[in-house]
Amino acid sequence: MPPVSRSIRVTVLFFGRLKELTGHAEDSAEFADAATIEQLFALYSARHPELAKYRSSVVASRNQEFASWDTPLRTGDEVAFLPPVSGG
Amino acid sequence: MATFPYDDIYQLVREPIDIAALARHVRSPEDGAAVTFDGFVRNQSHSRPTLYLDYEAYESMALAKMREIGVQLHEKYSIHRVAMVHRLGRLEIGDTSVFIAVSAPHRAAAFDACRFAIDTLKRTVPIWKKEYFADGAVWADGELPPTAAATPRAKPAS
Repeated sequence: MPPVSRSIRVTVLFFGRLKELTGHAEDSAEFADAATIEQLFALYSARHPELAKYRSSVVASRNQEFASWDTPLRTGDEVAFLPPVSGG
Repeated sequence: MATFPYDDIYQLVREPIDIAALARHVRSPEDGAAVTFDGFVRNQSHSRPTLYLDYEAYESMALAKMREIGVQLHEKYSIHRVAMVHRLGRLEIGDTSVFIAVSAPHRAAAFDACRFAIDTLKRTVPIWKKEYFADGAVWADGELPPTAAATPRAKPAS
């Protein structure tokens, strides 16, 4: 079976200071095998080391619902990394 | 998207918020009270003079979260109508950034619901503001929304 058959492709959104830090509002990421939101964040932290220090002050969403870091990703998911919110 | 089952208004806008129209919208003959919250841009932050603010949102999720707050309001309080509007983009000192109006037959429910609405919006709706000063700009200190693990929610039927 070709390895590509298990790959996962997701859309990734960054907001606020995370958008400035990564230089992306939107990106797409691909994994060869199963992955979680935590692993997705680690992927971008490897590219943008400053991102790692925001890990404890970021929450994630999957398909527009807040999601825990161990949430598994599925192809087509829209994952967003959200800094502390400051509306109002 | 499913039609919201109340005659409410939930919006993100880039133009000035028409607060009089929203306050009028929630009033109806069977009500006896409306409580409004008008949040507007302060001229300083931690004693630094503010020049202006710039708001951005995860718009689709922000609107969904605002509607969720509305559902909670109708579940928790004996209220009639809700209007909840947040403005995005560049806002000047004194501009209304968020406006909430709640009507009810009796005032206590309207007060309580309006307070719950703004407090919950500030904790859970993905909107961010950047504060611009004479010597630079910073993202405002925000609040960390509760995670999914902390607040499990049933998947709404759509």
